[in-house]
Amino acid sequence: MPKRQLGALLRTPGGLPLAEAVERATANLGTLAGACVAEIGQSIDRAEACIARCPPGFDEGFLVDLYGVVSPPIGVASVCGLGAIDVALHSLCDLVDHLRSTGRWDIEAMQVHVQALKLLLHTESAQNAQQTEAVLSGLRQVSQRYAAAAKAGA
Amino acid sequence: MGLDAKSRARFNLERASVLLLDSTPMGLEILVQVLTGFGCKVLHRANDNEEARDIVQRYAVDLAIVDASPTGEGYEFVSWLRRSGIEPNCYTPVLLTAGHTPTHAVGQARDCGADFIMKKPLTPKAVLERVVWIAREGRKFVDCDTYVGPDRRIKNEGVPGGGQGRRRDDLPPDVGEAVMPNMDQDTIDGLLTTRKVKL
Repeated sequence: MPKRQLGALLRTPGGLPLAEAVERATANLGTLAGACVAEIGQSIDRAEACIARCPPGFDEGFLVDLYGVVSPPIGVASVCGLGAIDVALHSLCDLVDHLRSTGRWDIEAMQVHVQALKLLLHTESAQNAQQTEAVLSGLRQVSQRYAAAAKAGA
Repeated sequence: MGLDAKSRARFNLERASVLLLDSTPMGLEILVQVLTGFGCKVLHRANDNEEARDIVQRYAVDLAIVDASPTGEGYEFVSWLRRSGIEPNCYTPVLLTAGHTPTHAVGQARDCGADFIMKKPLTPKAVLERVVWIAREGRKFVDCDTYVGPDRRIKNEGVPGGGQGRRRDDLPPDVGEAVMPNMDQDTIDGLLTTRKVKL
């Protein structure tokens, strides 16, 4: 195997101090904040439209579609200081994953996640930290309801 | 493994050629902003596996940051890259990212030949820590029928219980009798002398 070059490149003279590199990257991400808020809004709209088409019983194709809508935007909200939305999206992905692996169906659990996402987009702030945590805790309880069954079936 | 945020240690990514693969424009843009902040000048952006394959066939890549994607395309790309025979890119360090990381996805990430998987949201500090870690660590590269990639055993905990080991350098579970004289104290002290670590 040829020697990987990355280590040698990192050690070449010049470059940046670690702290400055992190600072610059963080500042660069700050320029994306507005675009990220808009992106998250659109993603939540897509999730809402998807949930509106929710079939009455288990449908793996629907779960694949919903996962395809709510999984890609994870990580975007944290860039604009809306980290709670990433937590809620993650919880919804967990729920979809558990429902897929157990064959169970729970429309309300999926709906409540999307409603919570809308709420978090419009209300999250430092003053609402306690309420935000309460919402996230509730979502975790909902998605974890199926976690044990999924684990047992794995 | 954590980097000291106040460290004045320097690193240089100016000449590193980095492949970024993410199927979402915003995910790709986030990576671009982070890597640009680190001083990277040569970034190859790909929105899908086809573009990424085209890039690795045309350019030498020193680091690849690949999003797993909900459909698992990222795993497929890394697996293809490792078996592509395109040198030196087939040995390139690969950092996988994923928004959602259930156990089966982590297993896929490990088995496709990636060096490491990072859960989103990504912070600049965490990305830099992993890049530095990947650059430093010297895992062996495994090439066999069922797996091509860096050795998946990150921790050296010896051969699994009761087994004999499959690698030439696996040590037997029993220590056995000493076959060489003990080291003298000066030699031991020499091994333990504090040395300055260069990044």
